[in-house]
Amino acid sequence: MRFLADEQPPVTHPTVDLGCGTWCTLNYDSVISSGLAILVTIIAAILIARSMHSDRPNRVQALAEWAFSYVRRTSQENAPDASTFVVPLAATIGFYILIANYLDFLPITLVQDVHPANTDVNQTASMAAVVFVLLHWYNIRLRGFKGYLLYYTRPHELPVWARAIFVPLNIIEEIVKPVTLSLRLFGNLLAGLLMLYVIGLLLPPVLATPVVAIWKLFDVLFIGLIQAFIFMLLTLVYFGLAREGFEQEHSH
Amino acid sequence: MDHLAAAMIAFGIALGGGAIGAAIGDGLVGNATINGVARQPEARGQLQGIMFIIIGLVEGMYFINLAFGALFVFSLGAK
Repeated sequence: MRFLADEQPPVTHPTVDLGCGTWCTLNYDSVISSGLAILVTIIAAILIARSMHSDRPNRVQALAEWAFSYVRRTSQENAPDASTFVVPLAATIGFYILIANYLDFLPITLVQDVHPANTDVNQTASMAAVVFVLLHWYNIRLRGFKGYLLYYTRPHELPVWARAIFVPLNIIEEIVKPVTLSLRLFGNLLAGLLMLYVIGLLLPPVLATPVVAIWKLFDVLFIGLIQAFIFMLLTLVYFGLAREGFEQEHSH
Repeated sequence: MDHLAAAMIAFGIALGGGAIGAAIGDGLVGNATINGVARQPEARGQLQGIMFIIIGLVEGMYFINLAFGALFVFSLGAK
């Protein structure tokens, strides 16, 4: 089994043990790459904001304004009263993931032990955890704590015994949301990286170079964009789902 | 090596099942999009955007399988 021994596959992250138990380790490669992505995101956002003119908009401004107004419109459709914090959250997450994915164009994998930011499940899970916590905080604020507990006995029009059956299903649904949110992004990005690894193993170097170039173009440009967009859109949609059934209950 | 063999078999099954599901899902999405465009050709741009979002969602499960399979084969099987 040559390929297991020769070089490290891209799924192993170099970890630093902080010395406080099994769960207390640090993948320093993800810290480096996500720090780079955060820096680029902040700098790009500041540059875009400073280059804006209200009387003569340039091209970047038009793109940024179109994207931001899309986020705001989707948020208004899904959860109108949560827009004040959902719009900045979703826009930041989408922009950050897009930058972090597009940084894969840079050959940062050539640096020893550094991988693209979103190929670490801790990275994507932390973003999903932020969404999860805010989602439930919003739900509790919307319905009150009692209403929040009753929310798990959906659908409300059924008799009590049938609603009791739905409780575990609803709890699973709530847990599955952040899990799939993080794993979808992680899986897509890791698959792209694995593909590069496998191409390098299977093809001779002469053939591998153009194939890697084509794959990288498709993977980063297309999948990176779509996954950033989906993560952002699902964040908005989940806040809309949290309002499910709220209007009917409080309209009469 | 037993662990590695088991991990590879599991990887193959997971990938195959995931690929079947993703392919069926993509086919359904394409079918619905073609129907929509045939019915209302002017909605093509809108439908294409939605189509790519749904394809991204449908293929998410396959890529989760791929990532976890690779994790099993490379990290757990290599021990």
